[in-house]
Amino acid sequence: MSNFAVLLLKEERALFSSPIAYVVMTVFLLIMGYSFTLSLFLSHQPSLVHVFFQIFVLFMLTGPLITMRLVAEERKLRTLEVLLTAPVSEIDIVLAKFIASMSLFVLMLLLSGAYAVVLAYFGDPDLGPIYSGYLGLLLFGATVVGTGLLASALASNQIVAALIALSVFLLFWIIDNFGMLLPSPFDTLVVNLSLAVHFRPFAVGSVYLSDVGFFPSAALLTLLLSVRALARR
Amino acid sequence: MSVAVSPIVQARHVTKWYGPRRAVADVSFTIEPGEIVGLLGPNGSGKSTIFRIICGYLAPSSGSVEVAGYDVMADSMEVRRAISYVPEDSPLYEHMRVIEFLRFMGNTKGLRGRGLRQAVEAAAERLDLTGVMMMPTGKLSRGFRQRVSIAQALLGDPKVLVLDEPTSGLDPHQVIAVRDLIGSLGGRHTVLLASHVLPEIEKIATRVMILLDGALLTADALKHAAASVTLRLRAAGPEAEVRSALDAVAGVRDIAAAQGGGGEASGVEPAVYLIEAERRPALAPDIVAALVSRGIAVSEFTEAAPDLERIFLGLTRRPAKAAA
Repeated sequence: MSNFAVLLLKEERALFSSPIAYVVMTVFLLIMGYSFTLSLFLSHQPSLVHVFFQIFVLFMLTGPLITMRLVAEERKLRTLEVLLTAPVSEIDIVLAKFIASMSLFVLMLLLSGAYAVVLAYFGDPDLGPIYSGYLGLLLFGATVVGTGLLASALASNQIVAALIALSVFLLFWIIDNFGMLLPSPFDTLVVNLSLAVHFRPFAVGSVYLSDVGFFPSAALLTLLLSVRALARR
Repeated sequence: MSVAVSPIVQARHVTKWYGPRRAVADVSFTIEPGEIVGLLGPNGSGKSTIFRIICGYLAPSSGSVEVAGYDVMADSMEVRRAISYVPEDSPLYEHMRVIEFLRFMGNTKGLRGRGLRQAVEAAAERLDLTGVMMMPTGKLSRGFRQRVSIAQALLGDPKVLVLDEPTSGLDPHQVIAVRDLIGSLGGRHTVLLASHVLPEIEKIATRVMILLDGALLTADALKHAAASVTLRLRAAGPEAEVRSALDAVAGVRDIAAAQGGGGEASGVEPAVYLIEAERRPALAPDIVAALVSRGIAVSEFTEAAPDLERIFLGLTRRPAKAAA
C-alpha cells in the first residue's frame, strides 16, 4: 500500500466518521427528491435539466461544508504538525484529501442516479443530456472540492474556510452578469470565468471542449496552490 | 587515532520571524549522535519554533539546519525519515482508535505487514498502552495521549526524537516511567527535548541548552555550571564587612544572603551567604583568609552542588526589564 493509499484511507475514515457527510447527503437527497418530483409532475417531461441546475447550486452550498475541515481542522488540532513531519509528501496529502472529498460528491451523484433510472423505467428520456449533465456535475464537483480545499489550506479556522469558499463560488457563479458590463475584451474574459456559463451547456446536453477543459483546469490550479500552501510554512 | 563523528543535528545561524516578531535569533548549535539534549527556556523563548524548524514543519527565515546530513528544506523527505516529532499537547486523530492511529503513523513511516504489527506491539508494550489499544484517542486521558504520542514517535526506529514537553500532564509514576524511557533511548537514538521542569531535564539530559527571547544563551549549561562554583558560607560579622572582605577576593562574582540561614547578619549571630565565583585553585583558602584577617569567624564553608535552576535563572534574568 502506497503512502497515498494510506492517506486516502485515513481521509475516507475521517469523512465518513463525521456527521457532516451524512447530514449533507440527507439534505441533498431530500431537496433533490422534492425538486425532481415537482419538476416531473409540473412539466411532464422526462428530463433532468432542472435537477442538474439544482445540484449545481447545492454543490456550491454544501461543498464548503464538506471541505472546510480538510486542512483547517488539522491545523487547529495540530495534527498537521504530526502529518507534515512524517515522511509523506504534500502532494500525496492534498490528493488524498481531494479524492476522499470527491468520493462523497460521486456518491451523491450516484444516489441521484435513481432519478435517471426512474425516468428511463417509466418514460423515454433523451440519454445524451443526462450523460453530459452528470459529466458536467462531476467536473464541476472537482472544482468545488479543489476550491474548498484551497480555502481550508489558507484559513486557520473552518468557518472562515467555508465562508471564503462560499464567497468564491457565489462570485464566480454570477460573475458573467458583471462581465457583460465591461468593455471588450474584458467582457469575454470575465464572462468566461463564470461557473454557470461553463456548466449550462452540460446540463442541456452540449459538451464543448472549452467547458470540459475549464473545470479540470480550475481544479488543478487549486490543487497546485493547496500543495504550495501546505509546503510553504 | 580518534574518528571524527559528524553531528546528527547541525543548526547554523537560524533566525525565524513571525511577521514583525523575531521568535528565533541567530541560533547555532550541534548535536552529536546518541546525545540527550534538553532545551530550556521561559514560555515564548522559541523552543517549539526551533523544534518545528528542525523537523521541517517550519522554514527558517534565514540560516540552515541539517539532520543526519540532510538539509531540512532541500531534503525534507530524508529528514522526515530520520526524525520523529512529538508536539506539545500530543495532537492525535480523534476519530481513530489507538491501534488505528499507531498503524496509520507506522504506515506513513513505511512500515507494512508483519513489521508494522511488531513495531506497534513493541511501542504499545514499551509505553504500557496494551489496555487502551481499542479506545478512541479522543477518549483518552492526558497521560495516555502523551504516551500514545511518544509511542508513534518510536515507530520506524528514527535516528532523532524530538519531544516537546514530553512529561506534561503525566502523574508522578508516569513521569518516572517516561523519564526512564527517554534515558534508555539515549545512545541508540538522539533525543532532543524541551521541558519547563528543570530538575527533570537535569535528570534526563546529558546536555542542556538555554534559550531566552529566541537567543541561545548557552549550548551546555552543565559545562557552564562547572566553570563556576557556588559556595555556602556561615560567618559571624557585620554584613557590610563580610561583603567587603569577599568583594576583595579575586574571582568572586556575586554574594547573596541566603534565606533561612538561621541568623541575622548583625555581626553577633552567624549568617549564611551564597557566593558565586569563578572556579580557580586556592579560591577557598583566599576567601577564608580574607574573612579571618578582618576578624570574621567562619563556622561553615562548603561547596553547593551545581544547581541548574540557579544557572537558568541567572542566565535568563532580564536586568533592564526587571529593573523597570
